[in-house]
Amino acid sequence: MQRYDYLKLIAEDSKDALVVCTGFASREWFALRPSDGNLKTRTLGVVSSVAAGLAIALPQRKVIAIDGDGAFLMNLCGLPTIAQKNPGNLIHLLFDNEVYEASGGTATASRTSDAVAIAKGAGYRNALWVKSLEDFRAAFTRAWKSNELTLIAIKVEPGQPKNLPPLKLDDIENKYRFMRYLEATEKKNF
Amino acid sequence: MDQQTAKTAAAAIVAGLKKAGIDFVATLPEGKTFELTCAVEQDQELTHVPLCREEEGIGICAGAYLAGKKTAIMMQNAGFLNSCNALTTTSLQFQIPILMLIYYAGDIGDRGFTTVGSVTEPVLNAMGFRTYILRKQEDINEILRGAQILADDSKKPVAVLLTKSVLGVD
Repeated sequence: MQRYDYLKLIAEDSKDALVVCTGFASREWFALRPSDGNLKTRTLGVVSSVAAGLAIALPQRKVIAIDGDGAFLMNLCGLPTIAQKNPGNLIHLLFDNEVYEASGGTATASRTSDAVAIAKGAGYRNALWVKSLEDFRAAFTRAWKSNELTLIAIKVEPGQPKNLPPLKLDDIENKYRFMRYLEATEKKNF
Repeated sequence: MDQQTAKTAAAAIVAGLKKAGIDFVATLPEGKTFELTCAVEQDQELTHVPLCREEEGIGICAGAYLAGKKTAIMMQNAGFLNSCNALTTTSLQFQIPILMLIYYAGDIGDRGFTTVGSVTEPVLNAMGFRTYILRKQEDINEILRGAQILADDSKKPVAVLLTKSVLGVD
């Protein structure tokens, strides 16, 4: 299974959640759930921190971080910070393909480390490995309904479908569309 | 100077931040900003996020900004150096403002960290961040408000370097 197979399962379930992506997953997610409530990050690692900032600032909105193992490992010190604030509206997804996929495919240290143990050690009360599509969807639904900060980690094969539409979105355009979308749906002027 | 002086200075800086419209502050303390960090933590009107490393704070503040918050990060200049990648590839890349309150370790008259002090202003300049040094307590409101307006209007990070004198510490 690849990341895309899992993302496809929750595209509909994600409703109007704000979704922050990183790396190759951005193109997949924007294709699966086209929305101005999607944001792609560029700094390796900060995807979970940006998502946490959104979740802390907007506790009434669901926020999903689509993390990868390279980014996750780079931002380990972000995890205790997130756990300390404990935003219940944040669902942290980790697709662990054990390689730096966007930069050619060399190995990350995730083969010899355990992201769920790391998250638990950092203070996440809910962190779990899932091994099947069914378990993934069930864990996602549980995290959504329980409104508790949750890390859901999945081992996946690298790669993505060949026929994905190109993601034509400048970073600044992405920012403005995201903010206008939030203003419209929150009925506020930023 | 005594602890009361530092407390009074911290209260004035927090009041200045709020007058400037700041409502969300991420912090990583240093010895000289202890009272200031405590004052941020105790203020009921500010959302406070204590950090483990400064660079994640740039990400957290970016997310909060997108959600309508006016954000500041409080850190030492070594922490600013720690944040340079996110400041470039998140703040500058997406045009996201942030008010940076940076304790100026290694400033004139400060012992112990001249290495960091000597690269602070050159790195801020190289990154294109407007930078103001806040030395006098009577300048707190004007500089914080002015810097926040600049950050908001330019959609870029703006730096205010905090010195021992403005913090009321030795």
